[in-house]
Amino acid sequence: MNDTPKINTDAINVILATDCGSTTTKAIMIEKVDGVYRQTWRGEAPTTVEEPFANVTVGVLNALTEIQEVSGRRLIDDAGEIIRPATATEGCDIYISTSSAGGGLQMMVAGVVREMTAASAKRAALGAGAIVMDTIAANDKRRPHEQIQRIRELRPDMVLVSGGTDGGDTKKVTEISEMIAPAKPRPRFGKSYELPIIFAGNDKARPEIERVFSDDGFDLKITDNLRPSLEQENLGPARDMIHDVFLEHVMAHAPGYDTLMSITDAPIMPTPGAVGDILQTIAKGRGINAVGVDIGGATTDVFSVFDGTFNRTVSANLGMSYSISNVCAEATMPTILRWVHLDMDEHELRNRVKNKMIRPTTIPQTMEALVFEQAVAREALRLAYIQHKAFATTLKGVQQQRTVGDTFTQESGGETIVDNMKLDLLVASGGVLSHAPRMHQTAMLLIDAFEPEGITELAKDSIFMMPHLGVLASVHPQAAMEVFERDCLVYLGTCVAAKGTGKEGKNCFSWSLDGGARGSGEIAFGQIEMIELGPEETAEIELRPARGFDVGAGPGKPVTKTIRGGTVGVILDGRGRALALPEERAECRAAVTRTIEAVGLYPDLEGSAV
Amino acid sequence: MRTSSIQTILLTTALCALAGGQVVLGSSKARASFAPPAPPTDLVANDLPWDGGGTVQIDWAASATPADQLKGYEILAHELEVTPRDAAIETDEAADRAAAEETQSLLEGEGIAPEDARRQAALSTPEFVSPPEDVSEWSSLGIVPATQTDYQATGLNKAGVYLFKIRAIGLEGDFSAATASSGEIRPVAAFFNGRKLPLLITLILIASAVFVFIVLARRGMPMRIRKIAGLAAVDEAVGRATEMGRSILYINGIQDMDDLQTVAGVTVLGRVAKTAAEYDAKIEVPTSRSLVMTAAREAVQSSYFSAGRPDAYNPDLIYYVTDEQFGFVAYISGMMTREKPAACFYMGSFFAESLILAETGNSVGAIQIAGTANPSQLPFFVAACDYTLIGEEFFAASAYLSGQPDQLGSLKGQDVGKILVGIVIIIGVTLATLQAITGSDSLEAAVNYLVNVILGS
Repeated sequence: MNDTPKINTDAINVILATDCGSTTTKAIMIEKVDGVYRQTWRGEAPTTVEEPFANVTVGVLNALTEIQEVSGRRLIDDAGEIIRPATATEGCDIYISTSSAGGGLQMMVAGVVREMTAASAKRAALGAGAIVMDTIAANDKRRPHEQIQRIRELRPDMVLVSGGTDGGDTKKVTEISEMIAPAKPRPRFGKSYELPIIFAGNDKARPEIERVFSDDGFDLKITDNLRPSLEQENLGPARDMIHDVFLEHVMAHAPGYDTLMSITDAPIMPTPGAVGDILQTIAKGRGINAVGVDIGGATTDVFSVFDGTFNRTVSANLGMSYSISNVCAEATMPTILRWVHLDMDEHELRNRVKNKMIRPTTIPQTMEALVFEQAVAREALRLAYIQHKAFATTLKGVQQQRTVGDTFTQESGGETIVDNMKLDLLVASGGVLSHAPRMHQTAMLLIDAFEPEGITELAKDSIFMMPHLGVLASVHPQAAMEVFERDCLVYLGTCVAAKGTGKEGKNCFSWSLDGGARGSGEIAFGQIEMIELGPEETAEIELRPARGFDVGAGPGKPVTKTIRGGTVGVILDGRGRALALPEERAECRAAVTRTIEAVGLYPDLEGSAV
Repeated sequence: MRTSSIQTILLTTALCALAGGQVVLGSSKARASFAPPAPPTDLVANDLPWDGGGTVQIDWAASATPADQLKGYEILAHELEVTPRDAAIETDEAADRAAAEETQSLLEGEGIAPEDARRQAALSTPEFVSPPEDVSEWSSLGIVPATQTDYQATGLNKAGVYLFKIRAIGLEGDFSAATASSGEIRPVAAFFNGRKLPLLITLILIASAVFVFIVLARRGMPMRIRKIAGLAAVDEAVGRATEMGRSILYINGIQDMDDLQTVAGVTVLGRVAKTAAEYDAKIEVPTSRSLVMTAAREAVQSSYFSAGRPDAYNPDLIYYVTDEQFGFVAYISGMMTREKPAACFYMGSFFAESLILAETGNSVGAIQIAGTANPSQLPFFVAACDYTLIGEEFFAASAYLSGQPDQLGSLKGQDVGKILVGIVIIIGVTLATLQAITGSDSLEAAVNYLVNVILGS
């Protein structure tokens, strides 16, 4: 059940995929049209994991029924079964699914040193699509009784224990296990449920770990060490084990999932894990560095692939409804207010925040509300990205190779691998980004929050299809790639931004375009300009940065590159990096207004702002 | 015979007359051109005020002879010799009585020891041997151009008493009469040496900066110190040892506690030991000096206490090996090869053993962090270690690690001093370069001022 079955990909013409979310089950149909896979139909239905149905498959069948109705293709037979294989008029060849229903996969992780094996364990869990409830480590500054208390309070779906290199420490990792075992953390589902413990630590410590978890109530799984040596991180086996345990234990105990597992042609994946997989597939396939973000009501997920290394973070307290107060507390009101060009004071902003918190499902009804919400979104995304940068780092505790030339530039381990200058593609998803009234707003949200440098493509997930494609990539990567490129992503355009700072009005960079759009000009520092370049169009851009500014080849060095257009076009951003807005409120409003008018963010409000 | 004698006499007389006429003619011209120049006048010599002693300022009025007919002025000095007291006693009973009375008063009134009283009495009433009349017996301090009418005599004996004379030198090297000698001058040191004024100003600036930054730090102003990779990596190194289940090796240099680097090394040891205590890692500190062992034990014990792990402190892991440089190194290298520590720290003063230790540590796969102020050893540490604290970074470690406002403020204040030095260097280099290009006298004077006064002070 757990291994992906061998499927003849050439024979696949119709694919059904569902994503069982906490509130909605989203289904899509992918068909081979003119030899190319395209997403053709979609349907939605409420998720039915809770009472009165308490069976997730009901929602799945409802969503598929909707597709059946709109497409005219019969997908479900009279017995309520999905028709397979596909014929000309009915059925599908494969059916796959992801799930984040019931809060998704919730895990606790443990390691010896917080920055080393514990960090690797956290990366493995997050990469597998889990929410990490807490990280226990020998140096987490908590006393043993505090750690035990915390373990008892948590109700994880499983625990991942790591620690020690192969042949390394056994004492500390055993001590941590000896803390977890008597604390007996209780699982979320069922009294008879044996809490899965995955041990991915020192191979010499296995007998001790087996002894510690030999009591009833635990189901110990042992896999390869996450850090066989400190120079090497081996997350694959642990991630696979997490997926297996997710299916065997967590899903098996969730209402209706046993049935759902039996009807899927590939293992069900946690939704964030699937999103991460498709991003990795795309980055690998196109040879690019990519960042994806999914901003929700309570959490914000950031995914990144830089030089083939995948990282995912979940910012649990940064979201647009349930967590909006926390965003305001962390970012502070004046910081949020700097993005608002309207005459809005802090008091009014606070009222709007509290209203959003007590009515989390409301959407902005006025332009002022929209401006406010997008200002908060900018800060939520910015903070989530800062957290992601701090987490996505090189390994710590690794021996460095030096030469005498390194005397004054000794880089240490644990440096972030996220480099905005190397970023090629930035993908947005989540309500506030996907459902913004204008694509320009989505593009500017991304630019203001992530501050991409050099040349960066901007895109958004059209109907949050990435989870479906993630699980599809595990059985049919080509189909996943084709749908991702053609239907999943809505290309907004390309952002061109120079790194550096200068004096307002002085030349930042000059540009010339040839191809789908033609023209040339200069961008002054502080200026932003938009050039139209259609979704299917490309153009060759030549950039000549002023001294001290960098557009990718180094300070002052010119760059020539083919860029892609989009629904927004090309945004030439001369506001500098790091992006800094004036401290003084009136100046700040004027600067933001200039940007808004240059890009045409809120056409209805233009002229009424300042 | 007679005729010839008369002819000879006449001829001789004529020749003599002819010659005598020439001599007369010649001697009148020589008086015009070889007359000795007029001597300079109004010689005044004074001890240079606001100096460190040994310098006298001499001024005079120019000679009546035009400057273009002079080669220059020669400065003459004579250090007076004190008449021996015994000789004075023999020759002058009155002086003997006076000196005896003064000695007695010093003995009784001020309680000065007899030898000192006699010496002091002799000094208080000195008698000098008269200077020689012949100026050739005077010392020549040098010749200055004819246009100059002042001179600073330097390098004189601060305790000596001097007389000065000046004489003009004609173009042919003939001397004028010397001026009358100046009064007796003792080139004593002033209470405040004006040449050291730039040093005082610099000192006040740096001290004020240190004071101001300490006050600001105490008031909570954030003091940013750039990240020192070597110190930031302490946690990483100790973590590596913990994960690998191996020990941490700490070498505090091979010098004793009188070496500042050893003291700085003990400070860093405190931090490393505290982290090791928190991680429950084993730290081993072999020393090559017994006093260093004692200090290291104190530091480690204190760290284990502050980490709340006094039970984990083991003094036996901090031990003395040998004072012998290579005996110590042989022991350490052998231990590294056998026990393969996961982290090695070399903090202190190292010499030839630096590369042996660092290479051995590297070969056993340890993370290595070194810190030394010995420039000759830095390249070896940089090449063989993961992180190296260079000179000042090593001494700044204490402030960096403790984060105490006083230490951070002091560090910031010292930075102001470094900035001042940097500015002076840039100005000096610029002026010297411009002077070399333009040949400007004013720039040369400015460079000389920088070199002789600013740097010389």
